[in-house]
Order: sequence, then C-alpha cells, then structure tokens
Amino acid sequence: MAVINVQGLTYTYPGSTSPALKDINFQIESGQLVAVIGGNEAGKSTLCLALSGLIPALFHGQMQGMVTVCGMDTQQYSPGQFAGQVGLVLQNPANQLSGMRYTVYEEVAFGLENLGISRVEMPARIENALEQVGLAELCDRSPYALSGGQQQRLALASVLALTPSVLLLDEPTAMLDPQGSQDVFEIIQKLVQAGTTVVIAEHHLEWIARYADRIIALAHGEVILDGSPREVLTSSRIQEAGINWLRYTQAAHLGIARGLWSPNTELPITLEQTLAGFRQMGTTSSTRQET
Amino acid sequence: MPTTPTLYLPGTSYLHRLHPLSKLVFSLASAVIIFGGPGGWVSAFFPGLFAMLLLWRAGLVGEVTRTILRLLTPFAVVLFLIHGFVNPQNQTILLRLGPVALGQEGLNFASLIVIRLTAALTASLLLMVSTHPSDLIQSLVEIGLPHRLAYLLGSPLLMLPQMVARVQVIQSVQQARGLETQGNFFQRVRALFPLVAPLVFSVLVDVEDRSLALEVRGFNAPNQKTSLTELVDTREQRAARWIMIVLAGFLLIAGIGWRMHGGH
Repeated sequence: MAVINVQGLTYTYPGSTSPALKDINFQIESGQLVAVIGGNEAGKSTLCLALSGLIPALFHGQMQGMVTVCGMDTQQYSPGQFAGQVGLVLQNPANQLSGMRYTVYEEVAFGLENLGISRVEMPARIENALEQVGLAELCDRSPYALSGGQQQRLALASVLALTPSVLLLDEPTAMLDPQGSQDVFEIIQKLVQAGTTVVIAEHHLEWIARYADRIIALAHGEVILDGSPREVLTSSRIQEAGINWLRYTQAAHLGIARGLWSPNTELPITLEQTLAGFRQMGTTSSTRQET
Repeated sequence: MPTTPTLYLPGTSYLHRLHPLSKLVFSLASAVIIFGGPGGWVSAFFPGLFAMLLLWRAGLVGEVTRTILRLLTPFAVVLFLIHGFVNPQNQTILLRLGPVALGQEGLNFASLIVIRLTAALTASLLLMVSTHPSDLIQSLVEIGLPHRLAYLLGSPLLMLPQMVARVQVIQSVQQARGLETQGNFFQRVRALFPLVAPLVFSVLVDVEDRSLALEVRGFNAPNQKTSLTELVDTREQRAARWIMIVLAGFLLIAGIGWRMHGGH
C-alpha cells in the first residue's frame, strides 16, 4: 500500500521564477527505504519539505499537484497535525535542538509534550527512542555537550519518540564523520526492518547503494531516474544529476574496456559485487590493482 | 563547549521543591520592597536577610554569596570611590587625600545602593539557583503565558553555549585570516564587525532550520500540550504568594508616601 503519493508536484519558491520541483510523480510503499539523490539545487531538500507538509504550509510559494502522506493531503493539514505521522531530520544537528531543555531525556520529551502525550506514557517512549539510537546512557547529559554524531542521533530520537509512520531525512550525515554516518545508517536500517517508511536525501552513495530499496534521482527539479539502486547508480543518465558513478561501477567500466569484466555481467555498486564480477572473469588479482 | 549557561544548581532542597511561581513572586515582591519600600536601607536589608536565611536553610548560601561577591565587588568598589570622593552632597569630610576628600554623605549613598543591589540580587538568585529554567517557563505557561512567548523567553538562555561556541569558531577563523582581536581599545572595536557580522548572518540562516525542526516536533500542533514534569503547587504556597503580592503593594504605597515626605 502506498504511504506516500505524489502527483504532478510542481513547486516554485516565493521570489523565484523557475520551479524547484517540476511535475514530480511517484508513490512509495510502506516499509521501504527510498533514497533521493541529485546534485546541488536538484530539489532534494524541497522534496523533503513537501513530503513533511512544511511546503506549502510554511513556504508561501506556488504549489501545483498533490502530495498525500499516510492518507493526509499536505494542503489540507498543518505541519503540527503531521507531526505524529511524519518525522523530519535535517542536516545540521545543532539546529534541531529545541533550546528549551537541559538534558537529552528532556529534549526527547519536547515533541511529546507538544503533541499532548500523557505524562504516564512519556517515559516509555523516551527510553525506547533513546535505546533505538544508542543514547540511553547519556540521557542526563546536556544536549550541547554531545558530539555532532550524538546530536544527530538525538535529533533522530526526538523524532522517533513521536512514532512516525514516515521518516524523512534530509542529508542527515552531511556533517558527520564516517563512524557517525555509519551509526545513523544502521539505525535507519533497523527502523526500516521494523516497518517504518524512510525517505532519505543523501550524498553518500556507497551507503545508499548498500541500504536503499529504491532510488529517485533528481536533476534541476525533475525526476530523471527511479528504480532499484543498481538500475539507477549504474545508469549512464546518472551523470545528468551531477553524480559520478561509484568507484565500483567505474572499475567495472575500466574492466570492460580492458577485457577484465564481462559486458554481460551486471555493473556493480558494492565492493562485494565488484569482487564477485572480477572473480567470475578469473582476474581477482588484477582487479585489486585497478580498483 | 560550555554546558552550564544558567545559574541553576540541581538539587533536592525544599527551595528546589517549591513551585517556581512562589519563588518568582518572592523575587519580584522583594525587588518592589527593596527599591520602592519606605525607610531606605531598612526596606532593602530585611528582604535581603530573609532571602539569605532561606538560602542558608537550603544549603545554597555559599554558592550564592560567591556569585554576589563576584558580580558586585568591582561595582561596589567603583561606586564607593565615585560617591565617596565626588558626590556633590558631600559635606562631612572623613579623609583628605591631596586635592580630593572622602565624604560621609557620598559613602552613605553608595552604601544604600550596594545594600539594595545585594538584597535584590540575593532574592533573584534564590529563584535562579533553585529553579530549572524550563520549570519556570512551564509554570508561566500554566498560568496562561502563550507557549510561543515562553519559547522566546526560555530558549536564548539555554542556547548560550551554542552561541559561545560559534563565536569562538568565528574568532578563530578570522584570526587565521589575520584579524587582530587583541590590543588596545580601538583595535578591539575594529575587530568587532568581522566577528559580529558572520555571527548575526549565521544565526539568521539557522533560524529557518530551527523553526522547521520545531514545526515537525509539533510546536504549533493544535492540541493541548502536556509536560514531562509535574509542578507541585499547594494551597499554602498559593496563599503565601497572595500575601507577598499584597505586602509588596502595601509597602510600595507606603514607600511612595515616605518619599513624598522627604525620604530617599
């Protein structure tokens, strides 16, 4: 069942003459991890805002088409009404702290208080959310005393405590180190396994290749590719989105040119696929030098 | 990054357990009596002494005294020097040092100001050291303060560490580009703009992100808000608050009358 339905979405920011999103159409099934990729100004963040209901509610641009999330039309409901259904995590972790709470525990409670969750129900939700992101032991610490990666996990916990059906992540690892990024992706993977629908705008293609069920590639506000990670990331059109092939795909292309990779073998997007492909050609040793 | 931007001292004393509004009313009533009550230093001395006794019973007097000394000592020294030597009311000369003379009237006036400030600071510290800022905000929301206004009041205080960290980053970046932030007064003033401008712009840029983050966490959700912590109020505290308000009002009126008859 489609939990997100986007039909003919075109959106132009106030004061702009060209639309940030042009005639976007797609549906997302429940429990999927869908990545939105594209270069700068491709429309990834705008799409996240549109899916969260913040567009058109807070941005008074021109919107055409329709976006429904969990059966709710974003033009009919306010962001506050979406808050329990749709969670959004942004790029900069520090900017997502409420600034109103002393401890990590209280910070997670902030959203629950806003949604009117009863005091009796709050502790279980908070503890569960902190457990999910691995911050349970830091619950008494000040949010400002956390590292960037921990703050991003706290932002995630603050949203998870609201038990959203759909989680939107706008480049959540952009300001994190590799370990912090890995932590975030592992949490996301567990959420998807538990049935949450996740849409993530992300630059780190290696993570996307490994974890996503589907990729939507945007260029200049339009969807240019929509399919499985392998279909999208190995497509020659991916470069129209300002994205280079993954190094594994590049290595396979070099392999084809030098007769080291069979043109009949699917192009790889992970290290495992690359090694398997070269092994198949019996050239594992030369593969390592090339990659 | 510093993490204790406020003066709040976590604890479980009876002062910590009092309802934030009771402490807020005590602080405000004390300020009214200290600055508006009759009898000059007498109106300042007793609320200050009472606040100090309450703090002593809660085991907080040491920290509060240190804070008061830290904040007021430089100010008090300057005040005594200025009024002691150059107050135009000075007639009773206590000491002559070359061309300048130390006057009794100036010292009296400086003493009154210092007593009033010490008392007012003690009463307000009683609130600040024993009240979690978010509890104070919550108590104000519970009596009808709009939550948006409450956010405006509460958030700057807790966001201070983030701002301090940002200032340090901007300062380091500008110093790396050759900006001189040390030196004489004029050099420091000249260095201000390259520090303040990026700070203001970056804060403005962050405002959008922060407002989006608040929205998706239901800040403007239409339902009734709840609270993680329960603020315990009692009939006795409510009665005490009304008594303090009435007493402050009465002493303010008495103070006005006293001043109209020549008191100061």
